[in-house]
Amino acid sequence: MAKRKGLVINDRQLDRCDDLLQKLKEVSGSSFLALISTSGQPITTASDEYHPETLSLASLAASSFAATQQLAKILDESEFTLLFHEGKALNLHVSQVSDQVLLIVTFGRETQVGKVRLYTQRAIEVLRQIFEGPDDGTSPEMDADFESAAGTAMDDIFKDV
Amino acid sequence: MPLINFAAREINYKIVYYGCGLCGKTTNLQYIHRKINPDARGKLVSIATEEERTLYFDFLPLTLGTVKGMQTRFHLYTVPGQSYYNASRKLVLQGVDGVIFVADSQITRLDENVESYLNLWDNLMGQGDDLTKLGFVIQMNKRDLSDIFSVEDLNELLNHTSSPVTESSAVTGEGVFETLKVVCKQVIAKTG
Repeated sequence: MAKRKGLVINDRQLDRCDDLLQKLKEVSGSSFLALISTSGQPITTASDEYHPETLSLASLAASSFAATQQLAKILDESEFTLLFHEGKALNLHVSQVSDQVLLIVTFGRETQVGKVRLYTQRAIEVLRQIFEGPDDGTSPEMDADFESAAGTAMDDIFKDV
Repeated sequence: MPLINFAAREINYKIVYYGCGLCGKTTNLQYIHRKINPDARGKLVSIATEEERTLYFDFLPLTLGTVKGMQTRFHLYTVPGQSYYNASRKLVLQGVDGVIFVADSQITRLDENVESYLNLWDNLMGQGDDLTKLGFVIQMNKRDLSDIFSVEDLNELLNHTSSPVTESSAVTGEGVFETLKVVCKQVIAKTG
């Protein structure tokens, strides 16, 4: 049976993304950045400290962004390419990198929205090349025993209690 | 589609609970959230109306732990069951790896079940998914109530794909984990 292909990230892609997010964080003065899939799964983050709600954040941001795209369609706009929420102390900026990847940036009063938008837009050009470039074939295969090992793990965790 | 992050040694799958209004989708997630080891789950996020009807979705991330060196996660979502929220349902289905169709076994809910079932396939086909590569399970819920269809009848009425069927009572938790396990094993088998 043919396996279903998903979004696959290899070592080289992740290293380049991590470097870029770190630079973007420094030049833009933002506090937290995350690359996520459009289906709401986190890929990587850049933050001074661990962000405990990354999974929920990714899920909600991807869903909000998807809803925004549908709003554009209803309004006969070809696309809304970014989502911006302004708070009292924190702002959230979500933008599209590729068909399958979004970039989340949060920032506070210590920087300006224009600065964040400018540098984010530049970063997206580079990120797009990372994700949309030709597949260099360096992605390893899944371990052949993954399926049975996952089944055993599920038996342990999903047992009725 | 699963997100396979070889660099971070992570793999993430998306599972969606689908079905008509009040069939028990959110109750499934609430039971899992309540009963599973807290170390294996994240926060249950619900976007609901003031009457606690799902407005957009519920979300619960589960961590299977490290399997063959890969941190393995399942992201569980529900959709709003009420028919006028179809635009939201389509969004939640984006990137799905496995679907649990929660059927309300009560005889009086047949029309709603059929409408939701047809709507599911409409939406999946509309987003161009290869349906043979999705995990799919029908969970016959509310088996603890009276005036319900037999499993055989409900199977004949709803299961045109001859997919696996489970019986449950999401309120008591019976069959909830069994259903989840079936679909999780399917998506791993189909996506690697």
